[in-house]
Amino acid sequence: MTDIPLSRPVDVPDRKPGSLLQQDARTKARNAAEKRFRLYGVIAIAISMIALVVLLTTILSAGSGAFRQTYLNIPVTLDAAVLDPKGNRDPAEMAKVLTVSYGRVLDAAVEATVARHNIQIEGLSEDDIDNLISKEASAQVRDRVLADPELIGQTVEFDVLTGGRIDGFFKGRVTMESAARDSNTSPQQLQLAQELANRGEIVTRFNWNFLTNADASDQRPEAAGVGVAILGSLYMMLVVLVLAVPIGVAASIYLEEFAPQNRITDIIEVNISNLAAVPSIVFGILGLAAFINFAGLPQSAPIVGGLVLTLMTLPTIIISTRAALKAVPPSIRDAALGVGASKMQSVFHHVLPLAMPGILTGTIIGLAQALGETAPLLLIGMVAFVRNFPDGLPGGLMDPASALPVQVYNWTQRSDPAFIERASGAIIVLLVFLLCMNVLAIWLRRKFERRW
Amino acid sequence: MYDTSHRVENAVTPKDIKIQARKVQVFYGDKQALKDVDVDILDKTVTAFIGPSGCGKSTFLRCINRMNDTIPIARVEGEILLDGEDVYDRRVDPVQLRAKVGMVFQKPNPFPKSIYDNVAYGPRIHGLARNRAELDDVVEKALRGAALWNEVKDRLSEPGTGLSGGQQQRLCIARAVATSPEVLLMDEPCSALDPIATAQVEELIEELRTRFSVVIVTHSMQQAARVSQKTAFFHLGNLVEYGDTDDIFTKPQDSRTEAYISGRIG
Repeated sequence: MTDIPLSRPVDVPDRKPGSLLQQDARTKARNAAEKRFRLYGVIAIAISMIALVVLLTTILSAGSGAFRQTYLNIPVTLDAAVLDPKGNRDPAEMAKVLTVSYGRVLDAAVEATVARHNIQIEGLSEDDIDNLISKEASAQVRDRVLADPELIGQTVEFDVLTGGRIDGFFKGRVTMESAARDSNTSPQQLQLAQELANRGEIVTRFNWNFLTNADASDQRPEAAGVGVAILGSLYMMLVVLVLAVPIGVAASIYLEEFAPQNRITDIIEVNISNLAAVPSIVFGILGLAAFINFAGLPQSAPIVGGLVLTLMTLPTIIISTRAALKAVPPSIRDAALGVGASKMQSVFHHVLPLAMPGILTGTIIGLAQALGETAPLLLIGMVAFVRNFPDGLPGGLMDPASALPVQVYNWTQRSDPAFIERASGAIIVLLVFLLCMNVLAIWLRRKFERRW
Repeated sequence: MYDTSHRVENAVTPKDIKIQARKVQVFYGDKQALKDVDVDILDKTVTAFIGPSGCGKSTFLRCINRMNDTIPIARVEGEILLDGEDVYDRRVDPVQLRAKVGMVFQKPNPFPKSIYDNVAYGPRIHGLARNRAELDDVVEKALRGAALWNEVKDRLSEPGTGLSGGQQQRLCIARAVATSPEVLLMDEPCSALDPIATAQVEELIEELRTRFSVVIVTHSMQQAARVSQKTAFFHLGNLVEYGDTDDIFTKPQDSRTEAYISGRIG
């Protein structure tokens, strides 16, 4: 802290009675100090605002591409000879036809489309044409055909995903120069894509699939989505909500209102505060040891993630709930006891409703913290590549799933630059969730706050 | 300010003893706050506890309905008999006791609920009304009893905390009265009020004593003289003198009492 000098040093002669209109040296110095301090404050705020703006613009510009996706519109002739060799439209038989066969059908369709538009490009290879569309496209068509076998033999219009490089080209990530050095694409292919776009065959649309798809392998970033991660995060939040909130609130009410003041409660209090400061990865190790190795729960399951996050969130909820209870004036407790309410009645009828806004805010902040937590989830195996959606509740809690922050971490590890875009997109989704939770916290606070 | 006109002499007639305190000692940790207090509080009488700050008068008041139980380090010895039953007996549930011995606090502390709910809370938790109509009746009686009915009858659903300070304190009195207590304890009920609100509350106390016994702690000797029939003077944890209010203020027996009422200590 700053030293406070004596108001009048001993060796200074008595101040002469001066004019009020003139500031003396001491007043000037004090005013200057205040001005300097205000300036520091403004600078500090400016720096943090700049950091925030830079962060948000970086993420938004990098991630907005994930929400747009290019599609190639092609008529596909679903050749019965290839797709249903037995010709009896038996779903079991048709399921034996793999995506490779569909790939062949699609290759023919793309080549036909290029031929129909009569696009001539020097040095354009057949591979360039076939790789215009994503490897995911054949699975896309296969799913559709298996769902509706009547389509076989007809020519159906499909919007198939374009390849990751083509998609990147329309988003500015891939250029002619980079394509020349890239073994996965070529300038000729990009030129073809441009020609098709000019003719309206390649279109860019809002990418709902990013929100609903599961993760995809390294070769097909264009098909990767955060669907499984969103579901996994939701399941975990559900577990945290169901466990941490009642346990945390009950523990704080007991500690704050009922527990005797003695050494044991002191020790418990200190330990709860310490738990809040334990690094989250430690909770991950604890979860691995306790829930997976000892209790035998499955790896990568939202139930384990939820349990670990519950342990992590409990101290936050307990501390904020106790603060909220402490802030309720004691006169309210006296008033309730004075008319003959029991301790529990005074707490539940009077103290708790008054503490509600604080409790809710603390709880939601705890949940938001849990939603963004990555480290402990890595240790319990939630970083795994999960392609299948978990089941509905409650069985889905035991199925492997991912989580939003872990998905971000996972994608930043991949080599294809298209995954950077996906990772930023997932961060945007995560931020939107957090924003919603904060808005909810503010709204609940307003709703429960009594203005009388 | 010594307005004694409303205190009719014949109102003070021999009454039954409502509360008997015997050798009451209170400790806060190691510190003794109250030493060997013996006092008989009469039914249908206003008893005032006076004395300088920290003399133990509020402590003793809070012993009567066991509000000291909420202070973890407080310890009470001796016995306080309410109608011959020791309130500190192990079998006594303080919750039941507080329904019989109501309390009004120094600072008005209405619940942050409507005026109606404030008054109805006690009857509700004690099951004093079988239906809404009965509850309405109890609330109205209590508010009339606290001389507040005419001011609030049209806005019973408005928050109790929106009333003025004096009204809030009368609302707290109504809340205490609504459970039909046998004793009403008041801990400096007027210290946060202006003179007009104080006069209203004092008038109310005069009315209340026709129905039950009122014990009031006050810093104002004038107030003690105005409202009470019996006065107890506490000093440094001792009950120095207890007697008829007129006697205490006109011919105190103890030199400390005389010093206090003449303004030399306190």
